[in-house]
Amino acid sequence: MNILPLKINNLNYSINGNKILRNIDISCNEKNITIIAGNNGSGKSTLLKILHGLIKIPKNTIKWGNFSISKIKKNQSMVFQEPILLNRTTYENLTYVSRKKNINDKSYVDKIIKRLNIKDISNINTKYISGGERQKVAIAMSIIGNPKIIFFDEPTSQLDPSYKNEIENIISNLSNSETKIFMTSHDISQIKRIGKEIIFLDQGEIIYHNTVEKFFSEKHCDLIKNYINYG
Amino acid sequence: MLINILETAFNLIFTLNENLIEIISLSLKVTLSALIISVSISIPFGAFLVFYKNKLQSFIVLVSNTLMGMPPVVLGLIIYTLVSKKGIFGFLDILYTPSAMILAQTLLISPIVISLTYEEIFKKNKQYSLLLNSLNLSNFSKLKTLIYESRYALLTVTLTGFGRASAEVGAVMIVGGNINHFTRVMTTAIAHETSKGSIELAVALGFILLLISFIITLLIKSLRKIS
Repeated sequence: MNILPLKINNLNYSINGNKILRNIDISCNEKNITIIAGNNGSGKSTLLKILHGLIKIPKNTIKWGNFSISKIKKNQSMVFQEPILLNRTTYENLTYVSRKKNINDKSYVDKIIKRLNIKDISNINTKYISGGERQKVAIAMSIIGNPKIIFFDEPTSQLDPSYKNEIENIISNLSNSETKIFMTSHDISQIKRIGKEIIFLDQGEIIYHNTVEKFFSEKHCDLIKNYINYG
Repeated sequence: MLINILETAFNLIFTLNENLIEIISLSLKVTLSALIISVSISIPFGAFLVFYKNKLQSFIVLVSNTLMGMPPVVLGLIIYTLVSKKGIFGFLDILYTPSAMILAQTLLISPIVISLTYEEIFKKNKQYSLLLNSLNLSNFSKLKTLIYESRYALLTVTLTGFGRASAEVGAVMIVGGNINHFTRVMTTAIAHETSKGSIELAVALGFILLLISFIITLLIKSLRKIS
């Protein structure tokens, strides 16, 4: 199943008359890490949710290869800014997701636990683990079933440098293993470290879309300049 | 005098007085039957309402919330008119039987169970909807997950229903008739024994009811702690 190129044609989205996204046209060809950046309220998370099919939009606005969002939904997953975990142990959370994805092999969950290095917390209720550990469990849940696309909504915004580093490594490794990553981030140094492509939004409009390398080398308008300087 | 009454009441309890045991077991039979019927219908129904947001759903929730405070005697009267010989369900021939009492208690606690379940599942859905939608689950699968995640809260709802049903007197008195050895339950027996001046049995039953209420409160408190 070829999920690329991603093509978005004239996407507009409003809530109660407020335009959240306007005239979004995107074409993405590379299986790399695409960063969606922008100030608060610029529409980053909404765009991510639309791409993941959590917000319904008119048919044919978005195409993943030749497929619509609903056709590709099983090959996607999402990690939220605030990890959403069930009131169960880490192991049970992972088993729950794997069962929902029709994976009944118990050793599969063990492999995921080993891969994410979360064995120490596998039998602890996720209520009692730290924020960084919760985010790792959420990532572990998101990689079950080897999705072709993973969306990360500011996954490290509330974490300390050590967890940030660990999670960035996990995301980079996922990207290296042929998973397309879309990630929102405010962290300029993080964007520099792991981003390959960047889409910059302002008030629901794309004002910049290019490689991260060019983003940091080109001259920009004041808005992006400030974002780079103070992000 | 009070000491004599208490002594006789405790004597009835500790000697497992036959009449007392008969009344308690019928009470538990009626209340538990009503509870099982109500919970097995009302919990899935209350949870189901969360997923179907339309005018009918809002109306059902409104009606259910209103019926939570319905006076039991009014409900008893309605059931009486329905199942009495001239009523539209008169052919069922259940008036003055435990079946009518089970029906009354089921209808009495169902709005409570539906409304509290709806509120609990609504809260949980808000908490988990992004994850469940992200996993592309069917509504049935989401429902199962949300009910499981609310299990302790729903047990509390069940106990609340049990407490309401076991303490109810008006409706079961009207539709059960308080017939000795047939439809006499704790609450109706208390009312009956007090009215005829035989206060000892009423006090003994009162203690049992209080004990049940105490156990329920204790269980609810522990469940709240766990959840």
